[in-house]
Amino acid sequence: MSQPLLTVENLHLAFQTPLGAAQALRGVSFSVEPGQIFGLVGETGCGKSITGRAILGLLPPTAKITAGRIVFAGQELLKLGERERHKLRGRRIAMIFQDPTTALNPVYTIGQQLTMVMKHHRMAAGQELRRRAGQLLADVGLPFPEALLKSYPHQLSGGMQQRVMIAMALSTEPDLLIADEPTTALDVTIQSQILELLVQLQRSRGITIILITHNMGIVAETCQQVAVLYAGRIVEQGQVRDIFYRPRHPYTQGLLAALPKPEQWRQPLKVIPGSAPDALQPISGCAFASRCEYVMEVCRQQQPPLFELGAHHQAACYLYHQVQERS
Amino acid sequence: MIQTPLVEVKRLSVDYVIRAGLLGRHKHHIRALDQIDLDIRPGETLGVVGESGCGKTTLGRSLLRLVPASSGQVLFEGQDILRLDKTDLRRLRPEMQIVFQNPFSSLNPRLNVLDLVAEPLRTHTRLKEAERAARVEALLGEVGLSAEHLKRYPHQLSGGQAQRVALARALALNPKFLVLDEPTSALDVSVQAQIINLLVQLQRSHGLTYLFISHDLSLVQHISDRIAVMYLGQIVELASSQAIFQRPSHPYTQALLASTPLPDPDSGRTRIILAGSVPSPADPPSGCRFHTRCPYVMDICRSTAPQPHFIGEGHQAVCHLLE
Repeated sequence: MSQPLLTVENLHLAFQTPLGAAQALRGVSFSVEPGQIFGLVGETGCGKSITGRAILGLLPPTAKITAGRIVFAGQELLKLGERERHKLRGRRIAMIFQDPTTALNPVYTIGQQLTMVMKHHRMAAGQELRRRAGQLLADVGLPFPEALLKSYPHQLSGGMQQRVMIAMALSTEPDLLIADEPTTALDVTIQSQILELLVQLQRSRGITIILITHNMGIVAETCQQVAVLYAGRIVEQGQVRDIFYRPRHPYTQGLLAALPKPEQWRQPLKVIPGSAPDALQPISGCAFASRCEYVMEVCRQQQPPLFELGAHHQAACYLYHQVQERS
Repeated sequence: MIQTPLVEVKRLSVDYVIRAGLLGRHKHHIRALDQIDLDIRPGETLGVVGESGCGKTTLGRSLLRLVPASSGQVLFEGQDILRLDKTDLRRLRPEMQIVFQNPFSSLNPRLNVLDLVAEPLRTHTRLKEAERAARVEALLGEVGLSAEHLKRYPHQLSGGQAQRVALARALALNPKFLVLDEPTSALDVSVQAQIINLLVQLQRSHGLTYLFISHDLSLVQHISDRIAVMYLGQIVELASSQAIFQRPSHPYTQALLASTPLPDPDSGRTRIILAGSVPSPADPPSGCRFHTRCPYVMDICRSTAPQPHFIGEGHQAVCHLLE
């Protein structure tokens, strides 16, 4: 296997709140191979978005990384100064967000915003800037790029705005694109257009994408590798087929079982009892223990490590303790 | 079997007025609902699905007369609620209730759970305080909460708990008809499953009739007996839940189905990618409103609006292809 483009190791991150430190990430580790779409999936508050922001170095002032490493293309990001990180951000690592309406500046035209990014990173100058901006808009499937360059964000629909965001992210030819819930604010027919575009970009440009989402359907249809996040830790990771056809962690199994399925019309949906743990409280043992139907004594006492289940398939669950010892 | 519908909607249209220009001198009319015909049978769940701006929320609200209609009728047990005077409407209100998408914006943050659930009882019944409190506790029990939640305020509840409170409020006056407007869209999947199960269970125990509005086709399919698919203020297809998924007949329904991501990496579906986005309801396309995005568009679609075609029992679609 090739060298990973990005490795996150044992990342711990806490928010300072008036009530104390909230542990948002409690030892997140994963690595992303170049040219992949890597899915980071989980429910509200699991830490998926903050992981994306930590990679980019766009953390709010109350967030502090307390331990861990992030290695991108051989460079240890957390050891770099702000100037070096600034050079990477938007240049080699780009990000698109959930709501394109708030991510675009309403007082500048699309053309001004696109060329601003390229000028800043010295990608081009003069006439070339304008030409490239038009080309980028065409690349992301927008019609009439020349007219669009002169338009303001409010003149565009949500789907078109998200395409502009993608064009901006691509303008610096980044190696890694972090897409944080890029279609959550969009309608389903527009969502499938945007997902199709991301898949095409991955194929045609070989760009690596981290797709952050809560939607298991989106993960199944677009990602090759998947990591499932729960309460600030990865509970299971593997190839997309492992996760959907051979889910091993009780949380992954529960998430998939809770989805409505056509063949189970009006039958009770499987429910994960209770709710996610309070990030302000320390967690001893497995964070999922209080909701798990297979909970054992050891689960309440010790945090389970990731156990190997097969090639690139791991689950952080003591149910697989012996599986690994035997193999 | 012919059943008398609980709610009959006849040629219902709703227009919104948008003011633009200096001092709002230019008025635009946006037709949010265009001549809707629909029956809702007692005890059924009628799902309404469509994308933003299709009019699904307006439909739900206009059935309860929460937005004024421009023309048409809404008959609730035979009475046209659009023609009722204030007193009669108020008398009918307890029969029809609504649950909104986000409980944190629909619940008053300054009231605790006891007061929130007791509020409809206070305005519509003459129960004494102790009786009210007992009724509130019983209602909380029905939605899976307990007396320990009585003194909590909305911000002290999780999303799922808050939506349960909104449901208890809606059930307080023993309604017959509930409009559920995206009741689980603000919730995580695992919590969504809890609320959906609760809704199915409450429908059985109380004999409720639901209008279930959602953009999520798999969810609508799970809970509904029949489904109405809406596009730009019109119902383009109406059929049983099974028929919509086995024999979708309108190209828009087919595209919606094909765009809904499935949790199955090898589903092997061919995606139908619709071009463009939904046109503005202020200036809807001529002829068939879907013709600008339809993969099968014909000449007639651009000029003439199609009429409903009956495909099978209780299955109708509005498309020239079916002629």
